[in-house]
Amino acid sequence: MSTPADFEPMEKGFDLAQAIAEADRCLLCHDAPCSAGCPAETDPGRFIRKLRFKNITGAVRTIKHNNILGAACGVLCPTARLCEEKCSAIFKSQECPEGADRPIAIGKIQRFLVEYAWHQGIQVLEKGAPRPQKVAVVGSGPAGLSCAAELAKEGFGVTVFEARPEPGGVLRYGVVSYRCSQDFLNRELDDVRALGVEFKCNHPVNGQRDAEKLLAEGYSAVFLAPGLWQAASLKKQRPAIKGLWSSVDFLAALRDGRFAEMRDAVAGRTVAVIGGGSVAMDCIGAAARLDAADVYLVYRRSYAQMPAEPDERIEAQEAGVHFLLLNQPVDYVTDGGRISGLKLVRTRLGEADASGRRRPEAVEGSEWVLPADLVIEAIGNQAPDDSPAWYPRVKVNDRRLIEVDPDTGRTSVEGIFAGGDIVRGPALVVQAVQDGKVAARAIKDYLTQ
Amino acid sequence: MANNIDLSIDFCGITFINPFLLSSSPVSNSAEMVARAFEAGWSGVVFKTLNSDRLPIIHPSPRMHCVHYGSKKEMAVQNVEQISDRPLKDNLIDILYLKKHYPDHRIIASIMGFFEDEWVYLAKVAEDNGADMLELNFSCPHMCIEGSGHKVGQAFHLLERFTEAVKKNVSIPVMAKMTPNITDMTEPALYAKKGGADAISAINTVRGISEIGLDDFVPRPNVFGKGAISGTSGPAVKPIGLNFIASMAKCLELGLPLSGIGGIETWIDALEYILVGSSTIQVTTGIMHYGYGIVEDMIEGLGDYMARKGVTSVSQLVGKALPHLHETDHFDLERQGVTQYDVDRCIGCGQCYIVCRDAAGQAITWDGENRRPVLDENKCLSCMLCQFVCPVTDLITYKAMPRGWRRNETPVMDPSLEKEIQYEPFTKEGPNECTV
Ligand SMILES: Cc1cc2nc3c(=O)[nH]c(=O)nc-3n(C[C@H](O)[C@H](O)[C@H](O)COP(=O)(O)OP(=O)(O)OC[C@H]3O[C@@H](n4cnc5c(N)ncnc54)[C@H](O)[C@@H]3O)c2cc1C
Ligand SMILES: Cc1cc2nc3c(=O)[nH]c(=O)nc-3n(C[C@H](O)[C@H](O)[C@H](O)COP(=O)(O)O)c2cc1C
Ligand code: SF4
Repeated sequence: MSTPADFEPMEKGFDLAQAIAEADRCLLCHDAPCSAGCPAETDPGRFIRKLRFKNITGAVRTIKHNNILGAACGVLCPTARLCEEKCSAIFKSQECPEGADRPIAIGKIQRFLVEYAWHQGIQVLEKGAPRPQKVAVVGSGPAGLSCAAELAKEGFGVTVFEARPEPGGVLRYGVVSYRCSQDFLNRELDDVRALGVEFKCNHPVNGQRDAEKLLAEGYSAVFLAPGLWQAASLKKQRPAIKGLWSSVDFLAALRDGRFAEMRDAVAGRTVAVIGGGSVAMDCIGAAARLDAADVYLVYRRSYAQMPAEPDERIEAQEAGVHFLLLNQPVDYVTDGGRISGLKLVRTRLGEADASGRRRPEAVEGSEWVLPADLVIEAIGNQAPDDSPAWYPRVKVNDRRLIEVDPDTGRTSVEGIFAGGDIVRGPALVVQAVQDGKVAARAIKDYLTQ
Repeated sequence: MANNIDLSIDFCGITFINPFLLSSSPVSNSAEMVARAFEAGWSGVVFKTLNSDRLPIIHPSPRMHCVHYGSKKEMAVQNVEQISDRPLKDNLIDILYLKKHYPDHRIIASIMGFFEDEWVYLAKVAEDNGADMLELNFSCPHMCIEGSGHKVGQAFHLLERFTEAVKKNVSIPVMAKMTPNITDMTEPALYAKKGGADAISAINTVRGISEIGLDDFVPRPNVFGKGAISGTSGPAVKPIGLNFIASMAKCLELGLPLSGIGGIETWIDALEYILVGSSTIQVTTGIMHYGYGIVEDMIEGLGDYMARKGVTSVSQLVGKALPHLHETDHFDLERQGVTQYDVDRCIGCGQCYIVCRDAAGQAITWDGENRRPVLDENKCLSCMLCQFVCPVTDLITYKAMPRGWRRNETPVMDPSLEKEIQYEPFTKEGPNECTV
């Protein structure tokens, strides 16, 4: 049997006829609640209207000008709680029971339009007239890409420093390929490259004061967007146990050339994934697709409290993942330096905590062991312990997240701006895009005053 | 963030920043409205038809009705609205306002009178108060006052006389707006030209009936128990408008600039009017449906098209389809074609089979086991009905056949009846044109 070198391809997007049919359902609301619901101001109300009036190039222009990662967002955004949440088509169905309606599939239309532009060779972005200043961007994830593109459109010279071999951040080394493939990402990156943005990969900016030194090395401003790449662990320091992985290690390995190795390690084994967020969903989805014998999701709270999106949760259960809810991992069980299981304790929900969610409390004497060949920890990503040293004068909080003025992305150091997960903590692609845009505008103001 | 492409065009010696105008109707009823339209991007307005206040204008109520097609709204609109019911003075003040505040935009005053002096009076006050141009409304199909509107448009000598009178008394360009409720529009257009018209606009609304109440038997709109044949507009009338513009553009003797109207909503509709000879286009129903904002997509869409085609001025597009527009007797009938099916993409709905069986060449047989159509090329009429209904994009396409290829003739049901037929072939020679 030949074994595939990657996961199945991404789900197919709309074709022109489907996109037009979907746009035809749009009520063209005067105040477009969808546009108000997009964190990156991608303006779906406008691009759907443009599609409706056969102004396809204009629709693509609206998307790409507002959101350089329009295709990726079309696929990855949790639209049900963003643009599609207040779609009037839903309310219409409440008023007219006979005409029950779904929200307009905004993400799908958005993805279609960008992909259509790629296939048809429609170009909508232009480099700005060259300006003398150069800007350094640290990190090539969504925030860095968005800031770089926005600055390049304004004519600034932009260099992006990326620690890893290829650009894209979480889109390259986090999100599983069946949700956002290599080709798809590369095509979207081409749009950034076409603006003249220069990428320096394998180029970490992580020495003592390295990020601040860029200001003295010919860069007039710096945008920090290194994201969060240190995976949290049950223990303060993740012990070196064979078969115990972090989500970061596991997901990155699937995309950096070690797919076959991972498949051999997972196929036929029992895998336990700890966590309840979107990252955990990617881990269980990947493990199930790699033909694990059994995949367990271990989460200490209830189903309704999981931060993962509803459709992700349902999909995972359909794929046969066992949800072990109200179970708190307390320790690893090992056998000769290899993981052999997880020690769990049952929980019940108590009083609400600061986040307003009811707190899980251990049920006394309920400890048990879940046998497992592999354990993957997906309980949150953090800023690396040493990250404050890269920019010692930049003010950070107790979680090592950078403090900025939300309207401009300015840090405590003049000329240094920041955005994305390193500011917000784990957030969304579309929010990172917005941060990059906001900072780029502030950088332009800063450099042209 | 538009594309900033120059869409300006000369029309009767006046420069418009783009070819997109409001036509004379509710969408151009007051300066407050028109100002917002200008802000949205429209380059000019044909102001709602002025009246002289001699006779009171009262609009019937309700004044419109609408034709839906399935779930599609407003495929056409039916109206019994009259010319402007505002006092002439108010309209003139509004025209003055627009002229003052929008010097880069063009104001065309639409007027309608009953006799020469009234036409001349309206033309002069419009010119004196800043109109850049006039449009003579010879075309409203449902005026509540006998002897006005399209009745004039159908009485060609009157049309010529009124045009001539107006032309003698003003120095701004004069455009005549034509009714489509005739067979050949070039004829009245030539009369307008003889009267001195500088341009022709068309079409006004098409006489029609949109719906009839099945309980009260009153054609809609139901004006307190009475209906009327009245004006139809919107997407449904676009083919009619294109026909009249193209015919006038083809008429060498006419040779006047044209302003195209009828069913325009998108830049593609507008461009089609331009390609058959319009230099400007006008819109009402599209705005009645979606508001002034649709001009943004017209501007951007046309600009992107021009950039794609390397066209630098809208004027280069005017009439570009005309050399390809022929009488049907010029077709090369030796060239035939058939449809071809990319059956691998078929989803098995069978709609093609139904329409081919019941409205075309019975060229498809149905493979019931696999739920797929099987095409016999030799029977295909190339009517393309199957392509129209196929839900899969580009599954069914047209294929040209080599010159001289012939499809099979439709067989008779029972050849044995030939011996019973009563028939002699027609053999008389005659002309190839109809004569008495
Ligand atoms: C597995 C996973 C799945 C997700 N799924 C979704 C989803 O479906 N939808 C959604 O909206 N969001 C999702 N997210 C969240 C989203 O990906 C992040 O919010 C977003 O990527 C943050 O962008 P960023 O640019 O701040 O950081 P990142 O994407 O993390 O990019 C940071 C980049 O900086 C580089 N870098 C780090 N340190 C240095 C250094 N010192 N020098 C140079 N370069 C450095 C990193 O290698 C990386 O390329 C997911 C996150 C994960 C982890
Ligand atoms: C409600 C209504 C009122 C109109 N009033 C006038 C008018 O006063 N003068 C005029 O010349 N045309 C009038 N028209 C005709 C329009 O200007 C236009 O010629 C016609 O509607 C076709 O264009 P459309 O399909 O874009 O609506 C009116 C049309 C409608 C629908
Ligand atoms: S659209 Fe406005 S003016 Fe026309 S009937 Fe409705 S409410 Fe009245």
